[in-house]
Amino acid sequence: MLKKDLMMRNPLRAVSDANGYILPEGGLGAVVARAGVGKTALLVQLSLNSLLKGDNALHISLGDPVRKVSLWYREVFNNIGTHYKIDKIDDLWNELLPQRFIMTFNIDGFSVPRLDERLTELADQDIFHPQMILIDGLPFNEQLKRTDLHALKDLSEKFNSHIWFTVRSHRHEEPDAEGLPIQISEYADLLDVAIKLEPEDNEIRLNVLKGSGSISTQDLSLDPATMLIKE
Amino acid sequence: MSKELSKVRNIGISAHIDSGKTTLTERILFYTNKIHAIHDVKGKDGVGAVMDSMELEKERGITIASAATFCEWNDHAINIIDTPGHVDFTIEVERSLRVLDGAILVLCSVGGVQSQSITVDQQMKRYKVPCIAFVNKCDRSGANPERVVSQLKEKLGHNAIAMQLPIGLEAAHEGVVDLVTMEALYFDGENGEIIRREEIPAELQEKAEERREELIEMASNYCDDLAEAFLEEQEISPDMILQAMRKGVLKREVTPVYIGSAYKNKGVQPLMDAATQLLPDPSEVTNIALDLDRDEAEVVLSSSSEDPTVALAFKLEDGQYGQLTYIRVYQGVLAKGDTLINTRSGKKIKIGRLVQMHSNQMEDINEISAGYIGALFGIDCASGDTFADPKLNYSMTSMFVPNPVISLALVPKDNKSQINMSKALNRFSKEDPTFRTYVDEETNETIIEGMGELHLEVYVERMQREYNAEVNTGQPRVAYRETITKRADFNYTHKKQTGGSGQYGRVAGYIEPFADGEFEFINKITGGAIPTQFISSCEKGFKASLAKGALMEFPVTGIRVEINDGASHAVDSSEMAFQAAARGAFIDAYKRAKPVIHEPIMKVVIETPTEFQGTVMGTINQRRGTILGAQEEGPMCVVECQVPLAEMFGYSTVLRSSTQGKAQFTMEFANYKQVPQSITEELQKKRDEEAKKGAA
Repeated sequence: MLKKDLMMRNPLRAVSDANGYILPEGGLGAVVARAGVGKTALLVQLSLNSLLKGDNALHISLGDPVRKVSLWYREVFNNIGTHYKIDKIDDLWNELLPQRFIMTFNIDGFSVPRLDERLTELADQDIFHPQMILIDGLPFNEQLKRTDLHALKDLSEKFNSHIWFTVRSHRHEEPDAEGLPIQISEYADLLDVAIKLEPEDNEIRLNVLKGSGSISTQDLSLDPATMLIKE
Repeated sequence: MSKELSKVRNIGISAHIDSGKTTLTERILFYTNKIHAIHDVKGKDGVGAVMDSMELEKERGITIASAATFCEWNDHAINIIDTPGHVDFTIEVERSLRVLDGAILVLCSVGGVQSQSITVDQQMKRYKVPCIAFVNKCDRSGANPERVVSQLKEKLGHNAIAMQLPIGLEAAHEGVVDLVTMEALYFDGENGEIIRREEIPAELQEKAEERREELIEMASNYCDDLAEAFLEEQEISPDMILQAMRKGVLKREVTPVYIGSAYKNKGVQPLMDAATQLLPDPSEVTNIALDLDRDEAEVVLSSSSEDPTVALAFKLEDGQYGQLTYIRVYQGVLAKGDTLINTRSGKKIKIGRLVQMHSNQMEDINEISAGYIGALFGIDCASGDTFADPKLNYSMTSMFVPNPVISLALVPKDNKSQINMSKALNRFSKEDPTFRTYVDEETNETIIEGMGELHLEVYVERMQREYNAEVNTGQPRVAYRETITKRADFNYTHKKQTGGSGQYGRVAGYIEPFADGEFEFINKITGGAIPTQFISSCEKGFKASLAKGALMEFPVTGIRVEINDGASHAVDSSEMAFQAAARGAFIDAYKRAKPVIHEPIMKVVIETPTEFQGTVMGTINQRRGTILGAQEEGPMCVVECQVPLAEMFGYSTVLRSSTQGKAQFTMEFANYKQVPQSITEELQKKRDEEAKKGAA
């Protein structure tokens, strides 16, 4: 009941399809922003949205330890609890916990074949089957090849899942001719959705750079105090 | 014992098991002339390191009890507390940290920051202990002190900075470059006791200069003069750097890192220098006591020897001459013949023999001044007791003591063992507040309770070795609990009229789940529906009902009871009648409040080579565990999970056999969670079977 209630009040519902998904199966999405604007906070909310729906989410962090990622979840979840005045937040949290899996790699130690190996191992032993994968901290620079993104797309299809990335942009860089941040311009055709977070007055706007259907028409922002999505 | 306070250091050596802290302590004692020969930890030569004074510790190569020892270095008096590394003994670690002013965090240059180091580090944070780090075992193959420094930053969030550079690593480890004095240090002589200072090897010169610059840049954050000198490119003296670093260390804002190999006698003396130069003296640490006469108001102790005495008993040991009590004096002086009050019991104690300890050898002294650690004989007290001047009613802040999560039945083999067992249990429960013991009234068995399987195992072994008590142990039992999940109203009348004076009492109200504690009783009776003198009987009755829940006879916790109505009889109502009414009301309401069983959940952290990651996760999955995450770091992977304690029995064997002995794990209590229905049914079945067996 509680879960359903939270789902109904979730602002992300407005931008999702009938089944509650923003990305299609096998799809790739990117959250672009400068450092410290709220990429991880948004990613965690996308993940929590999926957990509340009953889906499993795999959160991959390149750099941060498991403890720090857990803290992000707890923080955002507690904020949601306070915002929506949920009483038994701990019970709900315990219910969601088994659906979430955090994996962390050193940036140098991460590769798509390695991730594939880990996921296959988890799936074979029936330990974890992700319906959503979030990759926080993958460097979108000259070292990232188009083939890597193709491989991730294949991986996401293989596990009937979809993948969200965070992409770090820089203040001084001009966007490309299409208006896209240069970090993603080379891979734009591979991305189904791209959202840019931009501080504006007293809030952080979610500008949809690329996307289709309802996501492109919705007007969403983050509350800088709680980092929660507002309608 | 009469040194000025600025030349006193109370330091602890905290670390992961097997990172070599006992060897390090042994070397320190050797260099400070406290011992005259060096022994190995595992006792290959049959003597064993001095700090591991208990037989069992010698055999296992681990340190269980924290012996305190005194030594002198560079005109400084140093008290060293050797702390245990295993997580099952954390109460010992925490108790030691309570009396320390600073610590040396020992890390293994191969293993780096491991899960246990994280636990120890959190404990240091809790007690705000400033520390310096020592990256040990640089002679081992795979040694990489730089990786350990970056792990200190990333994993523990320390602002770590190297104070030295290694000269050669692994088998070629020869010495260190001191980045403060810009000298190369080599350790000559049979036991590394002769320090040879030379110029920095040419191949390291550039790197050393670079690192020194980083060090000065870091240090200049804590000293404006140094910052100025650095910016103006003036000559910077070693003393300026050390003074600035000291300020950072005392604020816990920076962790200087030293390197070496205690086993190969390298880098120990510079570490000792650092302990005297960088760690705080007792007057630089704020110690707080609670004034029991002023509703436990906080009082800052002065660390002056002139003020009335306040001392804390932090460890007990059973020695040849009776109970040895380790104490730290926080204020005033504790001298032979003084009379003090044990503020917990209110009993007067007269100070008899005072000693300064060097592990299990001792030296008689006449007094212990503020800031010092010593031991006294012939005092009956428990660990954690405060001794204060009769004028003061102070207690040192109470330490957080978790409730036990596991229990074990003990049956002595013969009468002699029975007597020895009770002696041992009496001692252990005084020494360790997380170790408890009682006699089960129904089975008449002696039950011991503690924080984990290993915790209890060690005590059973100590019982046999030190007290010659042979005991058989039962299966470990998990401390399950019962609680309710919804509110239920009650309106219960206890009425008995079967000859003699009657009994009458009616109580009405409700019980409901209570998340913030174990039990709360609220009296909302108005208009004297229940006479005031019977209210406490009602509370007693409800409390008594908590001992055994109606579901499976486990203790009941997390309940709030409110009474708001009732009735009494002028003649037939009594305390007993209202107690009975409360018990009846509880039984009646409990069933309707949807009771459930809760079990202890442990936080388990497993370190394994990456190739076994899948296997390890499989073992957790089979044990009803929730995997929180997996962290890959080069060849190793750390799996964090939560697993019910009931599923963890014998896990160390399973883990060893499924990973070729290459993985290790630590476990600590996390929280209580509801047991799934299927497991509740199993527990019920098991209980019924046991009951049947008992009846037969």
